[in-house]
Amino acid sequence: MSEILADCVGTVWKVLSAPGDRVSEGDVLIILESMKMEIPIEAEEDGVVVSVHVAEGAQVDDGDLLVRMGE
Amino acid sequence: MTENRPAERDSSGEPGRSTVGFSWEAELRQFDVRRERARKLGGERRVNRQREQGRYTIRERIEKIAESFSEIGEFAVYHEYDALGNKLGTLPSSYVCGLAKVDGRYVALGGEDFTVRGGAPQTYLDRMKGGTGGFIDDLAHDYKIPLMLFVEGVGGDVAGQEEKGHAYLNNSISWNRCFEVLSEVPVLSMVSGVAVGAASARALASHFSVITKDSVLITGGPPLVRRALGIEIDKFDLGGAKLVTSIGAVDNLAEDEDDAMNQMRRVLSYLPQNAWQLPERAPCTDPVTRRAPELLEIIPENRRQAYRASRVIQAVVDQDSFFEIGSRWGKSLTTGLARIDGIPIGVLANNPQSLGGAMDAAACDKQVRLISLCNTFHLPILYFVDVPGFMVGPQAEKDNTLRWGLKAMESIISATVPVVTIQVRKSYGLAVSATSNPEKLGLRLAWPSGEWGDLPIEGGVEAAYRREIEASENPEQLRAEIEARMGALVDPWRTAEAFGVEHMIDPRATREIVATFFEASLGSMSAGGNLPRPDWRGRS
Repeated sequence: MSEILADCVGTVWKVLSAPGDRVSEGDVLIILESMKMEIPIEAEEDGVVVSVHVAEGAQVDDGDLLVRMGE
Repeated sequence: MTENRPAERDSSGEPGRSTVGFSWEAELRQFDVRRERARKLGGERRVNRQREQGRYTIRERIEKIAESFSEIGEFAVYHEYDALGNKLGTLPSSYVCGLAKVDGRYVALGGEDFTVRGGAPQTYLDRMKGGTGGFIDDLAHDYKIPLMLFVEGVGGDVAGQEEKGHAYLNNSISWNRCFEVLSEVPVLSMVSGVAVGAASARALASHFSVITKDSVLITGGPPLVRRALGIEIDKFDLGGAKLVTSIGAVDNLAEDEDDAMNQMRRVLSYLPQNAWQLPERAPCTDPVTRRAPELLEIIPENRRQAYRASRVIQAVVDQDSFFEIGSRWGKSLTTGLARIDGIPIGVLANNPQSLGGAMDAAACDKQVRLISLCNTFHLPILYFVDVPGFMVGPQAEKDNTLRWGLKAMESIISATVPVVTIQVRKSYGLAVSATSNPEKLGLRLAWPSGEWGDLPIEGGVEAAYRREIEASENPEQLRAEIEARMGALVDPWRTAEAFGVEHMIDPRATREIVATFFEASLGSMSAGGNLPRPDWRGRS
């Protein structure tokens, strides 16, 4: 079980993953909009998306939980 | 009257010498007996435990990495006592070291033996073999050869003072050599198993460190934390490998020890034996004239879209030559070692995929670390710039970003090696001053995708013309007009016309241009250039 956290303040632009998705390291799970750019949030390792904790348009803070991953 | 009877050599079971003479046969037999004891390490039970946890013993590590090994101090021992002071037996000392050959190069190689007293410091010996300074560090220092360390140990332990019969006042004398060698020879360390306190610190005092994924590196272990803070916490939660590589305490994460050793060897391949030599240029099979059309695909035309900085680096440097250092921390700056036309170089690239490439405190720290390495061992620096500025926002202010930003700036300004910057996309704000040094050659090569200024137009216009915009009858329209006017000025060709950037290049031709300039610069790093001059009169 691992948690993917936002590493800066921003807005959720696109959610590209859903619970149950099997993903590989480097797959884009969410795209944030921050620093006037689209910032892809990638899976850090192969695994399954357990839960997605944000919706498109939501404001996120540094350290907010975005996605919980399992093996 | 004392009898002329040799005292028993309790540690080997052999009779000792008499005052009359000695027996060659008996003395030579000692080698076998004592060598056998050294090979047994801390005993079968502890060795098995090490293996069950998926780790090599210190002797296996040495065997894996070294083509040859001349051990020194093989016969040093540790007398083991139980908690009541009863002697349990004699074990080999808790550190193994010697002169090794790794990939045809002499290196000083050493590491703690975790099966003997958890790899504790050898304060029970007359001279430390290694760990926090000792014979192995002296060997690297005196012979000017790289130092490779296998770190696995509990740091200090209370039992040490019981042996001495008094509490000892720790001082920093033994650390002097550890710091001294950092400006003399490459120091590379691998952490596998558990490193605590002084052992952890020694791993940090290196140019490159790597930790296996199931290992731990901590300042103080769970018992200490429980007593000091009343917190129950697992050692992996305190300093597991993933955590320590995400904060940059250790540079790289490894799958296992074989992977970790390969990473150490890879890093060594870019570095000279010592700071008085230039790194070796390798034969290059990747044509220097190779163009990189993929760069036009990698850099999106849409400025809002990010790209992976490592892909830009890989397109330009020799094929498969890029070795990333610190991929798990300070992610808005990608750093590593590479070759171009066989010349070992250091590479930095702002990575828009993290924080839009903004330099936060961690990225600045990471820049300082790589540039120090390049400066010490004469690696020219290639910097791909795409920086929107130093990171802003409440967290960035709390992180003391400007303090670290200044250190990053100072690092590039004080670099004595040649620096070439590629203006990939954005160069905004103060952070640009941390990417090249205008007092030196400051060779900045721009791609037509480049844009720069004091502040980005969006936001910058708002800040500069706020009163006018607010007073206007149609603020939106006025802002759009000003932005359009400013936007026209951002055209990078205008700056090239003013020689405000040294040259505009076709990205696809970057490789050949950079290689040519770095090749021409090599003489500037030879003796009398930026190399420290060894004192030929033999004075210290």
